[in-house]
Amino acid sequence: MKTRILQIALAGGLMASGLMAAGLPAAVQAQDGGDVVIAQLQAPPSLDPHVTSAQAARNVNLHMYETLYARDENAAPVPDLAQGVEISEDGLTYVFTLREGVNFHDGSQMHADDVVASLNRYREIGASSTLLSAISSVEETGEYEVTVTLSEVQSTFLDNLSSPRAPIAIIPAEQAALGANEIEFIGTGPFRFVEFQPDSFVRLERFDDYTLNTNYSERDGLAGYKEVFIDSVTFRFITESGSRVAGLETGEIHLLETVDGPSAQRLAEDDQYVVYDVLPFAFQVIKFNHAQSPTDDVEFRRAVAAALDMEEIMAISHPDIYEIDGGWLFTNSAFYSDAALDLYNIADLEVARQHLENSSYDGETLTFIVDNGRANVDTATIVQQRLAAIGVNVELSVADWPTVSQIGFTPDGWHFWTHGFGIEPFEGPASVIAPWVDGVSMQADDPEINRLYNELTTEMDADARAEIFAEFQAYMYENAVAIKAGNYGLFQVSTTALENFVPFRIPRMWGVRLNQ
Amino acid sequence: MPEIPTDAIEGLAPQRARLAAFLKRLIANRSVALGGGLVLFVIALALLAPWVTPYNPLESSFRERLLPPSAAHLFGTDHFGRDVLTRVIYGGRLSLEIGFLVVLATGVFGTLIGGCAGYFRSLDNPAMRLMDAWMSFPAILLAIAVSATLGSSVTNVVIALSLATIPHTARIVRASVLVVREMEYVEAARALGARDTRILFVHVLLNSTAPLIVRLTYVFAIAILAEAVLSFIGVGPPPPAPSFGNIIANGRDFMVEAPWVTIFPGVAIFVVVLGLNLLGDGLRDVLDPRMRI
Amino acid sequence: MWSFVLRRLISSIPVLILVSLMTFGLIWLVPGDPASVFLDASATPEQVANLRRELGLDQPLWTQMLSWYERVLSGDLGESILLNRSVAAAILERLPITLSLAAIALVLAVIFGILLGSLAAVNHGGWGDQSIMTVALLGLSIPDFWLGLVLIVVFAVQLGWLPSGGFVAITEDFGGWAMSMALPAFTLTITQIGFIARMTRSSMLDVLRQDYVRTADAKGLGHGFVVMRHALPNAMMPILTVTGVIAGGLLGGAVVVEQVFALPGVGRLIIGAILSRDFPVIQGGLLMLAVIYLLVNLIVDMLYAVIDPRVRLA
Repeated sequence: MKTRILQIALAGGLMASGLMAAGLPAAVQAQDGGDVVIAQLQAPPSLDPHVTSAQAARNVNLHMYETLYARDENAAPVPDLAQGVEISEDGLTYVFTLREGVNFHDGSQMHADDVVASLNRYREIGASSTLLSAISSVEETGEYEVTVTLSEVQSTFLDNLSSPRAPIAIIPAEQAALGANEIEFIGTGPFRFVEFQPDSFVRLERFDDYTLNTNYSERDGLAGYKEVFIDSVTFRFITESGSRVAGLETGEIHLLETVDGPSAQRLAEDDQYVVYDVLPFAFQVIKFNHAQSPTDDVEFRRAVAAALDMEEIMAISHPDIYEIDGGWLFTNSAFYSDAALDLYNIADLEVARQHLENSSYDGETLTFIVDNGRANVDTATIVQQRLAAIGVNVELSVADWPTVSQIGFTPDGWHFWTHGFGIEPFEGPASVIAPWVDGVSMQADDPEINRLYNELTTEMDADARAEIFAEFQAYMYENAVAIKAGNYGLFQVSTTALENFVPFRIPRMWGVRLNQ
Repeated sequence: MPEIPTDAIEGLAPQRARLAAFLKRLIANRSVALGGGLVLFVIALALLAPWVTPYNPLESSFRERLLPPSAAHLFGTDHFGRDVLTRVIYGGRLSLEIGFLVVLATGVFGTLIGGCAGYFRSLDNPAMRLMDAWMSFPAILLAIAVSATLGSSVTNVVIALSLATIPHTARIVRASVLVVREMEYVEAARALGARDTRILFVHVLLNSTAPLIVRLTYVFAIAILAEAVLSFIGVGPPPPAPSFGNIIANGRDFMVEAPWVTIFPGVAIFVVVLGLNLLGDGLRDVLDPRMRI
Repeated sequence: MWSFVLRRLISSIPVLILVSLMTFGLIWLVPGDPASVFLDASATPEQVANLRRELGLDQPLWTQMLSWYERVLSGDLGESILLNRSVAAAILERLPITLSLAAIALVLAVIFGILLGSLAAVNHGGWGDQSIMTVALLGLSIPDFWLGLVLIVVFAVQLGWLPSGGFVAITEDFGGWAMSMALPAFTLTITQIGFIARMTRSSMLDVLRQDYVRTADAKGLGHGFVVMRHALPNAMMPILTVTGVIAGGLLGGAVVVEQVFALPGVGRLIIGAILSRDFPVIQGGLLMLAVIYLLVNLIVDMLYAVIDPRVRLA
């Protein structure tokens, strides 16, 4: 019975923030101030926003740093540090006008040179530097004007610029001159850096001189009007789920970034807590290695796809917070397609066996690599069991993330790999197709996918783009390039003392109040 | 009391009677009886697992997740819907197998290293320096490091745990070899012309086995506890095969909602380790009451 | 005495060198590196390679090893790749937590262990002896991390008396510190009490059988006085030995307890470093622990000499 669970659909519908009109003091209720403590699963590997695409880092960095363009509540790119942009007729020149009077945490102000330096740094060492690969030059053309010239038309350029994955944060030019991880953590965001104990916590405090974006009146995704009512926020890193929950129950922690189903059910029955279903948040994907036999064989892959019962996988790996949906985008995306979905969740061992007979599988033992995150291990375990039922022998190789990701990006040593795809479906169709381009995720180049990607990123018409994406999805299913098991989400739980919290890709601490 | 040398070399007949008397004394000792009984019971359960358990330990049933203990599931179910009692018994199989392999490896290598160090003076110093360095790592960290490095598999866990227990075992063997080396019958055997290696393996080791056996019993217990810790950290034997440790590790996320998943394997570990400790104590009392550790 | 200390320190050096070599050996075997911790699954191999270059991870192991030794000999343990501070700083920040946890557990275990062991010895064969020894045995058979988890559920979640984890510095708030250390210290103590109690009992039994004790008894000095004044001091030697062994074991136990209770100590630091391949921290941390272990042994040996002047410091 979920009396206290609020359903939030990400990227679908603006959530009314209610309390914050521009510049008007809040009416009655909670006073300002307070120190919020959030418990998250992992520690950020770095607080240099350019060099890491880890979710744990994003949670923190997107409080301290801002970008030229950012995604709004519906995941559309909107201006944040930029005032606006003028795009040339031929689509190759972008002239950004910057907002004036934006303060950095060190007291200086943002000018065009900071933006140029930050963009160029990202092109050099950014974790997702390919986002800016279409750029041929970035120039300062005025104190508050930056001109970006592309070498080819890219319909997704603003999407790329506003990608939150490893954000293209604007930092002071002196900092941008420094190498990876050598910067001081100075940004323009509503919170400033205080302290970082890498295996324990990171603490941010309200930046009193934050320049609010008066083009907006409300919180809007990662952009909008980011007014801060609390004094500080501390992110504590607690890997053990039981410890996180216990921390909430003893009152030490105000918000849990993620909690498993059974705990969420239990906490939902307690009046002191609010449980948020953040669904959908990510895909559970099972990748095949196309450089090894038999996973290079379409029939074998189709056999595997047909054998799996997605309900079983999702119900065990992500109890009570999943959706059985085969689309390679979230259902509320404008580009969502139902192409080839008859091939999703077949769950028929007979069909699977038929495909298997036509395949090149010869009884050998295959390797399934997986990191030791529980959901991923559970998914791998279930797949292994299911495949055993049709006579396919799979051995699990569980290792920690560094080892697994190193193996996974080479053509040897694995046949299957499973993990989540979170930010890609949020960002849109180009981001979903990108991992399969140049064979990066499956270790064998697929010219068809490369072609579809190029078409999509140069096609300016939205309907045409939707069709291209549908083609991509059909291709994914007919060739079983990889398997999407389903959508999963997060349970986030807060005490009722935390007011006006609305979940998003990160737990946003602007706009919230703490009842003390 | 050392016998005349000829007996030590040829024939065991007079020994057999002593053996029988010795065994009687062994079983009469309460600790041995109780501990040994517990251990044998657990081993029996593990060996008879397929016949004793009501369910399949690997088959998931997602509609029966996290059920509390009931008549159908005496220990409840885990988050896959698998019967915990079944998994604990099979887990015992794997944990005991790991423990046994660790005992074997530690016994063999500890004896080799300790025996050579104790008997051949030239090897003693460098070997002991190596043991010192080896023992300067907290054993559990060493095991975690090795297991994380090599990746999770039963073999690697055995290697990791053996590496943690070998140095202390080697020291114990070395100590008793040092003592026995000087004893009369070894002198006498040498006088009779038996070659160095023969002396080493036949006499010295046979007579140093008492502390080794006691130590190995404790090593078994240590291995079971340590495997559980490795699984808890996440570098233990890989799924889906259950081990005591990885059942607890999987249940940890649901500790508050479904404590039975964590409690029962913990109790199982406790019972096995208790049995082994009792057995070790009893063996020590019977074999070598002068031993301290 | 001091020449003894010096000699011991010098002979520790080859051990430390061996330790560092073994650590390097481990790292040489290890697949994966910290670059992948920075990036999520959609990173391309080029991006990973770029980051590795930025972080200086692409140099051959030989070079890395030599430059590490060079740095260590000049007192610099290097920079952590992931923690944004020097290895030495990272360790020193956390050392007090691990040491205080181990120290508290050691003190409690020694006090209660000796107490219980002595009681058992004095009551040899009786009901008290049996029950104490049973409890001791039970204590050292319990898996420590499991005990920690159970205690968290009972005391933190169900009863709400104590925090479930995390650490409050003693400088911030003594009460908070005490509460955050209570369960971890208790968990760590329970297993060790068993060892010490058993050790105390058996060496006390030996001593109590000695002639001079019977003489003292015959002199009518009162058994309790005899125990305290004569028996116990002479039983200390083996206890001291065991304490040395236990100190090493406590460091290991502290590692596990730190994980369960999320205490930011050295153990957790090293485990985290192992799992995220932060090589400088792994090397520096293990070296530091080896140094501590050797120091503890040295202190134990020195205490031998202090307690028993007959011991020749060789």
